[in-house]
Parts: sequence; C-alpha cells; structure tokens
Amino acid sequence: MRESGRMVIREPLVNENMPLSWRKETKPHRFCPGCGHGIALKALGEVVDELGILDQVLYGCDIGCSLLSWDFFNFDSIQTHHGRTIPVIVGAKRARPETVGIAYMGDGGGYAIGAQHLVNAAQRGEQITAILANNTLYAMTGGQMAPTTLPGQKTGTSPYGREVTKTGLPLQGPELVAAIAPEGSYVARATVGEYQQLKKYLKKALDNQIAGRGFSFVEVLSTCPTNWRTNAKQTWAFLQGEMARHFKVGEFRAAETIPAGEER
Amino acid sequence: MPRILEAYVGEYASGKSENAINRSLRLVKAGRRVRLVDLDLVEPTYTLRPLKRKLEAKGIQVLAWETRELIGLGEAAIPFKKEMGSALAFAGDVIIDLGYGVEGRRLLNLIAGSLSPAGRGESLQLIMVVNTTRPVTSSLPLLLAYLAEFGPVDGLINNTHLGEETTVELIQEGAGLVTAAARRVGCPVVATTALRPYARQLGPVDRMANPVWPIERYMPDAFW
Amino acid sequence: MGRKIANIQLSEEYEGVLRKEQRSFMTGNEVVAWAALAAKADFMYGYPITPQNEIMHYWARLAPHFGRGFLQTEDEMSAGFAMLGGALVGKKTFSATAGPGNVLMQEPISMAEMMRIPGVWIIQQRGGPSTATVIYSQQELRLTTTGGNGEGLRIVYSTASHQELFEYTIKAFNTAWQYRFPTFVLGDGYQAKMREAVTLFRPEARGWRLIPAEPILRPPGVPARDRDPVHLRNTFNIEEELYDRLVDQLAAYDRMTAEVIEWEAEVSPETELLLVAHGIVARAAKQAQENLNRQGKKVGYFRPITVRPFPGSALRQAVAANPNLRLLVVESAHGQLLALVKAELYGFTNPLDSLLRPGVGITAEEIEEAVTQHGQKEAVS
Repeated sequence: MRESGRMVIREPLVNENMPLSWRKETKPHRFCPGCGHGIALKALGEVVDELGILDQVLYGCDIGCSLLSWDFFNFDSIQTHHGRTIPVIVGAKRARPETVGIAYMGDGGGYAIGAQHLVNAAQRGEQITAILANNTLYAMTGGQMAPTTLPGQKTGTSPYGREVTKTGLPLQGPELVAAIAPEGSYVARATVGEYQQLKKYLKKALDNQIAGRGFSFVEVLSTCPTNWRTNAKQTWAFLQGEMARHFKVGEFRAAETIPAGEER
Repeated sequence: MPRILEAYVGEYASGKSENAINRSLRLVKAGRRVRLVDLDLVEPTYTLRPLKRKLEAKGIQVLAWETRELIGLGEAAIPFKKEMGSALAFAGDVIIDLGYGVEGRRLLNLIAGSLSPAGRGESLQLIMVVNTTRPVTSSLPLLLAYLAEFGPVDGLINNTHLGEETTVELIQEGAGLVTAAARRVGCPVVATTALRPYARQLGPVDRMANPVWPIERYMPDAFW
Repeated sequence: MGRKIANIQLSEEYEGVLRKEQRSFMTGNEVVAWAALAAKADFMYGYPITPQNEIMHYWARLAPHFGRGFLQTEDEMSAGFAMLGGALVGKKTFSATAGPGNVLMQEPISMAEMMRIPGVWIIQQRGGPSTATVIYSQQELRLTTTGGNGEGLRIVYSTASHQELFEYTIKAFNTAWQYRFPTFVLGDGYQAKMREAVTLFRPEARGWRLIPAEPILRPPGVPARDRDPVHLRNTFNIEEELYDRLVDQLAAYDRMTAEVIEWEAEVSPETELLLVAHGIVARAAKQAQENLNRQGKKVGYFRPITVRPFPGSALRQAVAANPNLRLLVVESAHGQLLALVKAELYGFTNPLDSLLRPGVGITAEEIEEAVTQHGQKEAVS
C-alpha cells in the first residue's frame, strides 16, 4: 500500500534537521524524486529561520510545479494564477509594507506568461523578493519548451530539439532584470548544485527587501529528472554541465550596504 | 488695435470650453476676427469637434479636429493638430480652450510665441474659469491651494452653477468666493458668467461689483 | 497626514467637502473617486483606459492626503491581481476599467470568485468588440456579469445617475466585504463624462455602517505558534473536490441573492406595455414612460439595478400583473439584457419587442418613437 509506505518513511523525514518554518504536517513534500524545488525551498526555509521573519512572510506560488509548495511552509501562503504571483505579492506588499513578500515561480511563469510583471516590478523597484526556479522546461504540463530551454534540447513542443533560428536562445533572466532594475536591487543566479551559495543569495535577497533597499530577484538553476528523463548521475551532469554553460551563476546586482557579518 | 489673446484654463469640467466659445462669439459680434483653438489634450475628440461647423457658421475660425479627419487616427485621436503649433499666427484675436490636467499651462510650450509673444504690447492672458460647486475648488482654502499649484493667472471668471439646479444665490456665493481668492492672489475677477436668465436677474454686476456676462450653452451639442 | 499647499491642509478641506453635503457639479468619474474616499477604500490599482481615466486621476490626487494608496500597474491583469493581494492582507482595494481592459480583468476576477476574495471594480462601458470606441455602450453587461471561466458569482450594480454612482460605489464596498464575492459598479462612458449635480456625503452621517476589511492572510499572531498558517489555493486535483467547493459557493450566492437584489418597477393591472432597461438607458426609458403616460398611454417601467443577481421574481411579478402585457426591452447592446429577460420569463407568452442599438446612445424620444411604431415581433418563449 502506497499510504502505508508513506507512513514508514514519514517518521524519519520529520526530524530536527527540517527548518522550523517547514510545515511538518505536509512532509514528505509532493515534488518528484530528484526535483530541485525541495532543495531551493529548504534553503528558503532555513533563511527564514535565520532571519526570524516567519510571522512577516507572505509567500505566493505560481501555477506549474511551484504550486505544489502552497502548503509547504509554516508561513501564510497564496497559490495564484500562472504568471500572476508577482502582482499578487506586489499588491499585498504595497497595501501592508511591513510584509516580507516572496513570489516563487518557475521559468514559464516568470519569463513567458508573466514576463511583463517581472519586468515592471523590477523596473519600479517593488520591495519584494522574486525567486524563480529554472529547470529549462514546463514540467507540470508534461515537459514543453520554455524560454529557458537549451539549444537542441528536446521537449514535447520541440521534439527535434530547440531550433534557435526559429525559437531563439535561452532567456537570460537575471541579466535582463539586472539591466533594468534601479539602484538598490539585488539580482543573482544560484543553483541547487551549490547549496551554501544558494542559501547565501536567498538570504541577501530577503535582507535586501527587509532593509527596504529595493527589488530582489534570484533565479535558481533547478533539476527535473522526470521531464529530462535522466537518472541521478545524468541529472547532476546536466545541471552542472550543460545548464551551467548557458547560465552563469553569481551575483549581477548587489546593494552597496552589506549586512554585518556577511561577505560579498 | 492690439489683438486679444486669451487662454481659458482651470479645473476639469469648470466651464472652460463654454466660456471660450462665448467669449469668441462676443468678440465676433463686436466685429472682430476671432480664431478659437481647441487644446484639450485629454479629451480631444469630445470638446469642440462636434461644434466646429456650427461655430464656423457664426463667423469664428475654429482650429479643432473635424469628424472626418479622425477616422483611423486611433483610440482617442492624435490630440495635437500640427496647425495648433502656430495658432497665434493669425491676424485677429485668438481664444484658446486649454485642456485640464497636470501642469495644464505647460501645454502653451507647444504653441509658438504663446509664452513670450513678440512686440506690439501683446501678451497671452491666462483666464482661470472657476465653478465653486466643483469639489476641489469649493472653499476659499481649496481655491487658494488650487491657484498656488497652478501658478499665476491674469484673471478669474466666476462660472459657478449647478446645471439645472442653478440659483442666483448660488452664483452670488460663487462670486464672493472667487473675488476673495482673486484679492488674495492679486489678480482681477474678469467677470461672473451665467446663462442668460440668471444674468438678467443678476443685473450688470454681481454683488462683488464684477461685471456679469451672459452666456449661452453650446456644450450640450457636444458629447458632454 | 497629507500635503500642504500654500499652508493649507488639504485633507481637512477635502473632508469638509464630504461633511458639508453641498450640491456639487461633477463628472461621474470624479464621483466614483470621491465615493471610494468616502467608503474608506485603502488602495486603488489601475491601468489607463478611456473612459475611466479620471477615476484614477482624482483618486491619485485625493488619496495621498488620506494615507490611501495608488499604484499604476503594467496592465489590467496586474491591477486585478494586485487588488487581490491587497484584499488578502486586509485592505479595501478597487480598480476601474473598460472594454478591452475589462476583458483582461476577467482573469483576476475569476480567481477572486473562486477564492471568495472581496474587491470592487468600476466598469465604464465603451464600444465593442475590440478597441472600438472610447465613448459609450452597454455591451459589457454579459462580460461583467458572467465573464471568466466560471459561474459568474458576482454582484453587479447598474447605475443611472451620479447620485447612484456615489451611493452604489460605497454600497459595493460593503457588499464585497460582507459577502466576499467580486462586486461591480457597471457604469458607461456617458455616465463617466457627463456632468450633473450630486450630493457627496460621509456614509456614517447617514447611519450607513461601513463593513470593516479583515485580513485573510497575515491575520494577527505568529503562524504555527499562535495559530495555524493560512494556506490558500485555487487548484483542485479531482472533480469531486471542485464540485463540493462550488456547491458551497453557489449556496452562499443563493443565500445572498435575496439580500442584495434591487430593482425599480412601475406597473399596474392597467399597464399595457412594460419598458425594460438598465443603467443610463433606464433613465431615458423612465422619461419616455412619463411622457407616454401624459399622452394617456398605459406604459410601465422595469429596471434591474442589480443586473447580477438578476431580480427575476420581481420581473415575473411585474409581467404577471396583466396577462396581455407587452414588453419592450431597450439597450445599447445587441440583446445582452434581452437574453437575461427572456431567461427569467421562460414559460411566459407575452409579446416581446426590443430596441437594440449596440454601442450607441438611446434617447427618450427614440424610445417613444419605438413605442408608437410598436409592432409585435416575437413572443417571450
């Protein structure tokens, strides 16, 4: 029985190593084995713990696999429409500025259907933190081509591989945001392959919002073995190899003021 | 004889267009050549355009869009007709209906010579039309704040009315308020304007001794 | 709070405008902005589209003096979703739109419907379909009442004067926050731009209780310590889960209906012809009715004020007053009100005619002419 199987693995998973901001009642989480979302959200949970902002956070998630995180945390959350998480969090933050607003989305939500919201929120310097998981495709709908799909990569809608002459090159999100966001913005690209760096970037992104400096945006290179059709070794190789070649990890915009005890 | 150059300015729906039209007609009746310019950039399609032919028949030269010119021009039409840039280049009086909006007076930057007209002692007079039943100009402090934000004007017109509910008392109250504001900012009250039946009851001057100018309504023939 | 200009505290002066209850000469769009102020709306999120722009202009002018907020977003979807964010954390939010903007706004409205998130939308109808005209129509009735991918669980007030625009905008905030269904004031380009006298007032001065907004997300307390975290979603995996949710919502909507429906009717057993119209056209219909009555014609009048939920039983009652009653439905659209009327009168056999002028204004004289030349075209069903 699947249910009893879950029960067996549930106990050891719910333990003191989980971030306090994780909602233990909803663990194990709903993501596929090997999915990068769990790692990104663990880092986010730990950062929220470290910053002690559990009661201030409003977390929004998109449609796409990110919606599976709707009850993932112990902070309040809203699952929105595809691409519309940024405006919902912007609206809440504008209405109650003491809120720490987090908009969590995938590459389809942030770079395709909701690209205008990302661009304009960044341009206006909205005091929210947008986190975008880039797994190079639309996962929840069964693996279609995304703005981030790599040249030649096969997906449901690029069955012979992405042809750059017809569908362009992978969108460079943080580079785009960094080019338009005003002074005080924080923009970075992290990867689930570098956990401590990922955590550090997420912490700086949230800290940037808490300090009222401006918009913060972190793209997280993530994994989708289910739609990549890759085993653990191949998944890791794709993330650290091909993806890393197309998407440069690092900070693109960082505020002038660095919180005490933090190195750049 | 110097030309009369006037721009009617003021709060949205205060009666700028009505006053500009009536002023133009008065001047035409006095035997003068008059050009009326529609510079309402917010609602270009709706102000003088529907009245253009009618006013031209009365002898005014009207610089405004014509219905047939607007076909295919976009949602609300291109608001600035290129001829308007040289609106003052006319051998006669020029009356400008200046649209409302933030920094409405800056629209004059678009008209050559309007901010510093050349020679012959001519200068463009900014006349602010005030209806004290408009909420944002309904008290002396609000009117003073409005004038402070707008910047200097050359005169005020009391155009206080409530549509069909207008009374002589209401117009007189408006006259008091507008005159008090004018004294505070140091400009004259050009007139109290009122529809003919009210003007008749008011007599030649209002209770503050400002001249009363009877006006006719033309704007109902426009959209609003 | 707020700015001073020439050493004048504008907030006090603006409060005074409401307190003094003077008659004011205004355009409909301004009236809406003042109504939102009087209703203690907290935040407007909007995107420019004619003919509603002055609602934003005046709100943007007034709001900072009262610590209220305004954000011009990148499009109507963003405005609508930002409204939902603001409402979720306990603020009274609103927007105004028209035409193609109303089409885009349907996406966030459908989320509001599903999640019972309150909000007020002012719709100033313009010509359609597509970009069409910025001027006027009643062609957004169907879209406003039942747009979106759902069941149209909304409340829509169709106004006919500036006084109504003021009062129903205030009422819309109460309805939205009391019942938690998206609530609309359905105006049009004529009402937006036309000028007439209106009395602004503080709702409290009339004994109107303003329903307070409560935070749905981020209510007081530390989540997981003082209270459970609030987790909201609009996605359901199985049919039955959605169905159960909708059954509850439809029941809540039905319970509310009797409390919110509003209409005007003038009909008697002698009435031979019933004019049916909504919004600004109802005003022309009322005038036509009075003129025709003066000529000795037995003409009645029915006007739904809530076009959703529709006052169906009141209409049926009016029609039942006289079995030989004829109906004339008048609207500036091609049969949008007519369809609602026919649906409500299913089973009746009264003759029914219509005067349909999509995207064009209708005067009392035109209605009188249609009545005079009235020929029976079709029966209700």
